[in-house]
Amino acid sequence: MRYQLPFVTLASVAALIFALVGLPTVTKAQSVNDIISRGKLIVAIDTTTPPYGFLDEKLEPTGFDIDVAKKMGEALGVPVEFVTVTSPGRIPSLMTGQVDAVISIFSITPQRAIQVDYSNPYAGQSAVVIAPTGTQIASHEDLVGKKVGVTRGTAEDGILTAASEKLPGIEMLRFDDYSSLLQAMVSGQIDAMGGGDYGEIYLKKAQGGDAFEQKYPLKTYYFGIGVAKDNHNLRQWINTWLLGMKSDGSLEDLSMQYRGQPLPALPVF
Amino acid sequence: MQNLQFGPVFAHSDAFIDGVISTLVLAALSIFFGTMIGLLGAIGRSYGPRILSAPIGAYVEIIRNTPLLIQLYFVFFTLPLVGIKLSSNWAAIVALSIHLGAYAIEIIRAGIDSIPQGQIEAAKSLGLRPYRIVRHVIVVPALKAVYPSLTAQFILQIMGTSIVGAIAAEELTAIANNLVMQTFRSFEIYIVIAVIYFVIVQSASLLFAGIGRLLFQWKA
Amino acid sequence: MSLRDFGPNEFMFLIAAARWTILLALVTFAGGGAIGIFIAALRIAPSRPLRWLAIAYIQFFMGTPILIQLFMAYYGSSLLGFRPDPWTAAAVTFCINAGAFFGEIFRGAIEAVPRGQWESAKSLGLGFLKTLRLVILPQALQLMVPPTVGLMVQIVKTTSVASLIGLNELTRAAIKVNTVTFEPFMVFGTVAIIYFALCWPLSLYATRLEKRGNGKIQAKVKLPRLMPAS
Repeated sequence: MRYQLPFVTLASVAALIFALVGLPTVTKAQSVNDIISRGKLIVAIDTTTPPYGFLDEKLEPTGFDIDVAKKMGEALGVPVEFVTVTSPGRIPSLMTGQVDAVISIFSITPQRAIQVDYSNPYAGQSAVVIAPTGTQIASHEDLVGKKVGVTRGTAEDGILTAASEKLPGIEMLRFDDYSSLLQAMVSGQIDAMGGGDYGEIYLKKAQGGDAFEQKYPLKTYYFGIGVAKDNHNLRQWINTWLLGMKSDGSLEDLSMQYRGQPLPALPVF
Repeated sequence: MQNLQFGPVFAHSDAFIDGVISTLVLAALSIFFGTMIGLLGAIGRSYGPRILSAPIGAYVEIIRNTPLLIQLYFVFFTLPLVGIKLSSNWAAIVALSIHLGAYAIEIIRAGIDSIPQGQIEAAKSLGLRPYRIVRHVIVVPALKAVYPSLTAQFILQIMGTSIVGAIAAEELTAIANNLVMQTFRSFEIYIVIAVIYFVIVQSASLLFAGIGRLLFQWKA
Repeated sequence: MSLRDFGPNEFMFLIAAARWTILLALVTFAGGGAIGIFIAALRIAPSRPLRWLAIAYIQFFMGTPILIQLFMAYYGSSLLGFRPDPWTAAAVTFCINAGAFFGEIFRGAIEAVPRGQWESAKSLGLGFLKTLRLVILPQALQLMVPPTVGLMVQIVKTTSVASLIGLNELTRAAIKVNTVTFEPFMVFGTVAIIYFALCWPLSLYATRLEKRGNGKIQAKVKLPRLMPAS
């Protein structure tokens, strides 16, 4: 009898912990009313993507995307619960019903729109090539013989990889997250990087005066709020709410606060 | 939509072959350097001056009690602070070698400890020179004794290379992730590379067993 | 708002993040241990197909990188209709993976118990499961302890890989802090110390247990040489 103890203990500990961690509860897409009656809005964010999402002095999430999410919660009259995800984890978080919306520099692409639905753009920016001020770079040709970093699977990755296939000698380094890419740039592990047009602000302080600058633009793209496929109810509400955010200047204020520059003209689809 | 589609995966078979080669090169180089570290460290710790013992011991304990991923980040992101800039692939090889080195020291030391002191005394009394004693009486029998443990660690090293994509090194897993982003066929791609790793690991096991038999008449 | 120094707040944030690493390691220990018992039982079962099943399980999970297993569970499993969040994907993958390693440890310990005991139990009329539970396991349990503690060290370290699917554990917290401090030496140094503080006592304990057991039946135990990569 005594010897059965380990079995029973082990099994019950396992059961207990699984219960605590919570087995996946696949929920269906939440309508606006569902969210309000549940009493919270659940949003996927990424806190490794300054200035859109990062940790403030109290190690709480902050940034442009985070404030957009908070304002969305205010408009719905519910608090916001954040779930942090990686870039490749954004689509799964919606497909699993783990979150109601993704607000995390989620650029609108036709490939992604097969799996999730997007709101109208709430922000936009240019993907640019960033490098130290002293480096002469004005086009793809100047990247030959240089190490160019990107975040795997981003728009910049696509454009610069295509360039590297045409121009042998561009060495591509693909990082799993934006944070590691920035760190590699600061450490001098890469000579140039493809990234958002805000990137150099963050790089400037980091290397004690050795400034970075935008070299040339790659493409302009727009961030939308992602919702589960066919959740038209929530998407329509978000679009309506965004109209107000745009017309009363709140989005513009957030852009100045976090990005230090006004938003580009935002198309509607 | 829920159909397996391996077509888009096999359309990129060149990329997979590149990935396999990179993985094998990373593994082979880091196994070579790691084993060298292991040999020198183990001999240094067992027979070297006492002053070496503490630093080698510290190295072994620090590396064996921290994750490889943190070691990778450390080598890639902090060595530049002291002016050492390694490319992603070299940083990966350095981190993997340092990682394996710590395990190899412990494994080889166990082999060295298993050699009876009398054997060494006997060799000395026969007038063998120190180099020959180290080589024939210590290193070879020690390696023979621990060969299975050592090669098991090599196998782990091969699988360990799968995480070096975190510092932008190119190998099988990183290349697979690139393809997932392009094709969205994640399940098929990961199945394929799981099979590839499995084949690599099984072949390596056979290869190591074969080499063992050749070198040490060690029975698998 | 942007960059700042690595200070006490950041330090405490990393310390606090270690609880998720510990929780995942405990879940893996419990779940992997339970699966391991099952796998070990299959591995020594009287029926050949059952043994093959266990061997295939062990070979697959020990012979492919855990990162690939994690990616399959997290990104790949939607094709099968599963849609786990990072926690579920990591917990399930680590349990299943550790199950193979625990299975091999348990089998090694069980097989170290002299064969004669199986036969005498049989002659007393005990069945396979009863013999295992009442006769063999109580003796094997002592033998399992040192390698199990050793495996725990590997598990704690390997949980860092879960950061690559976005699980908010210690390593992912380090990446987040590094994003705003750009002090990789402080950030990864601190994190390395935290992992070391978690693992080293376990390592020392495992070594002590092994030494204590030396010379007894322990010496005969053939335990798996493979430990998960981390």
